[in-house]
Amino acid sequence: MVQRVDLTPMMKPKSVAIIGASRNPDKVGNVILQNYVNAGYEGKIYPVNLKAEEVLGFKAYKKITDVGAEIDLAVIAIPAPAVPLALEQCGKAKVRSAVVVSGGFAEIGETKLQDKITEIAKKHHIAMVGPNCLGVMDTRSKVDTLFLPTKKISKPKVGFVSFVSQSGAVGSTVLDVIAGEGFGLSKFISYGNAAYVDEVDILEYLMNDDETKVIVLYLEGIKRGKEFVELARKITKVKPVVVLKAGRTSAGTAAAHSHTASLAGNYAVHEAMFRQFGFTVANDLSELFYYAKIFASETKPQGNRIAVITNGGGAGVITADEIASSRYLKVADFETDTKKALRKVLPALVNMSNPLDLAGDADANRYRYALDAVGRDKNTDMVVVIILYQTPGADPSVTNEVVQKKITLNKPLLVISTGAEYTKKQVRLLEERGVPVYESPIAAIDSLEALFEYAEYKKRSQSQ
Amino acid sequence: MPLLEYTLAKKLLERYKINSVESRYVKSAHDAVVFASGGRIVLKLLSQKALHKTKAGLVKLDLGSEKEIAESYDDLVRRGKALKPYKILAQKMAGQGVEIIIGGDTDPQFGKVLLVGLGGIYVEAFKDVQMRLCPITKADAEDMLGELQSGKVVTYNGKASGEIVSLLLKVSKLLAERKEVKELDLNPVIVRPDSYDVVDIRVLT
Repeated sequence: MVQRVDLTPMMKPKSVAIIGASRNPDKVGNVILQNYVNAGYEGKIYPVNLKAEEVLGFKAYKKITDVGAEIDLAVIAIPAPAVPLALEQCGKAKVRSAVVVSGGFAEIGETKLQDKITEIAKKHHIAMVGPNCLGVMDTRSKVDTLFLPTKKISKPKVGFVSFVSQSGAVGSTVLDVIAGEGFGLSKFISYGNAAYVDEVDILEYLMNDDETKVIVLYLEGIKRGKEFVELARKITKVKPVVVLKAGRTSAGTAAAHSHTASLAGNYAVHEAMFRQFGFTVANDLSELFYYAKIFASETKPQGNRIAVITNGGGAGVITADEIASSRYLKVADFETDTKKALRKVLPALVNMSNPLDLAGDADANRYRYALDAVGRDKNTDMVVVIILYQTPGADPSVTNEVVQKKITLNKPLLVISTGAEYTKKQVRLLEERGVPVYESPIAAIDSLEALFEYAEYKKRSQSQ
Repeated sequence: MPLLEYTLAKKLLERYKINSVESRYVKSAHDAVVFASGGRIVLKLLSQKALHKTKAGLVKLDLGSEKEIAESYDDLVRRGKALKPYKILAQKMAGQGVEIIIGGDTDPQFGKVLLVGLGGIYVEAFKDVQMRLCPITKADAEDMLGELQSGKVVTYNGKASGEIVSLLLKVSKLLAERKEVKELDLNPVIVRPDSYDVVDIRVLT
């Protein structure tokens, strides 16, 4: 497959023109410009505005052709009927990429107008994302075409998860949630009507992007089925892709259709294809996040056997039940040596079995002994650590211990912790330092299973 | 989409080394008795006007004696009056086993799709099926069988028999190579630990 467009100038632009950069702070064009300033974008910024001499302290230009310098990215935020002319002028100015945030195209039946701008973009070799989209964000280059006021949406920290969403509304919600998660964001792309650049182009770019280690995808429809399949065969050999496809039922399909003028396709076939090519399929937004979180933690399982370390007996049993009733995972059977080693250091009341219940008065030392032992245990492939912070011994020193062990342990590890204020603070500390935390055993075990299934898929597909 | 004539469909499968139960058109009850040659047979009325044969009473199972065969043949002729043109197919009775369905479909976006599931009367009731895009790999075939809700019934001790896995691979190859085949139903396929019988074939072109 020949790559049709290069998204590098869009994600790593040395210069950006904002067409429709208004002086009015209520206008989208103004918000976009303001966001560039706030994010600390270091490239050149050229506001294009018919009337103003300057906007937010930047010299403004009447037309993009007046700029007279190389422009990597043009963000177009003007009424739909004016977009074709603006895009033609971008062509003359040799602009390399464009994000058309303006709505008023195929999503309201204006397919001719949309076809027109697509033609112009193709003619001038402009990689065009949109129309009717939020656009793109790159936490490293600090590109941000999103017209979301910063006071209402938190900005995610720099990381290695990239998020692709056709829908702008889902996209902005996700962005806000990701900002609260421990794993950071690499790139965000909301591509709207996909008149030119579509999911295949975007996924191909992210597949080859070193700053992206996990791809999270929200899809309403697929434009080029054959090309998508061709890419699907390749992409999961390189990195994990978590996908949520809207339109599982005909009710959902009808909504998706009127929403982004896209073909929702038959969900069962989509799902079959995703599973066949090793995608991780999420059924709702919360699954999307918890799968993203475990993949972002980046340790590959060598097998399917799980050790459960807990300071609460009940929570340990519930988790073991969840493991035992999963399709692929098993509760690990500790080696005799592991049990002997634990016997020496743990109090007599602790039973040396899995789940390993360290008892309600467990402190950081007990967690350390347990983590050391399961780390060496040859029958353990993954580790679940349950911390109930409500108990006397569980305090920030336990948090520290787990953070340290996560770094040295060469096995996937996650924490299950449920609680209010005090717990939430510790959870935040854990996540900020790279430990994935889950509130429920179901979410935690589902995530480990997804991690295991992907590792198996990768092994298998590479041996073929 | 026209239904491919049964003997042509059977030949198409044979080209991919997919064997189905021994079958022959019969023109009289006597023909059918000769075909049975002492064994047990099935009689089916085939007509473009009747796609669901079992529901319409057009399948007569497990016939042995001359009398059974003759009565069933006459009943099919009677039912066939409203379904002309039709043919009557005699098939050797397949052995016992688990009934599965293997199917093929054409998705407008992604092309040929292979389907497997619990077959016979359970297809509609449980809709327990797995799909993959063609062509599939051996591992895909094993996954499809393992991921069925009824996986433990369709497989033996959790292991898919090599016979069914290779059957799935053959059907996938047929679907991928034969552009003219738009839809395909092998339903039921009777599966045993070490063998299978394709009992009914529908190919739409």
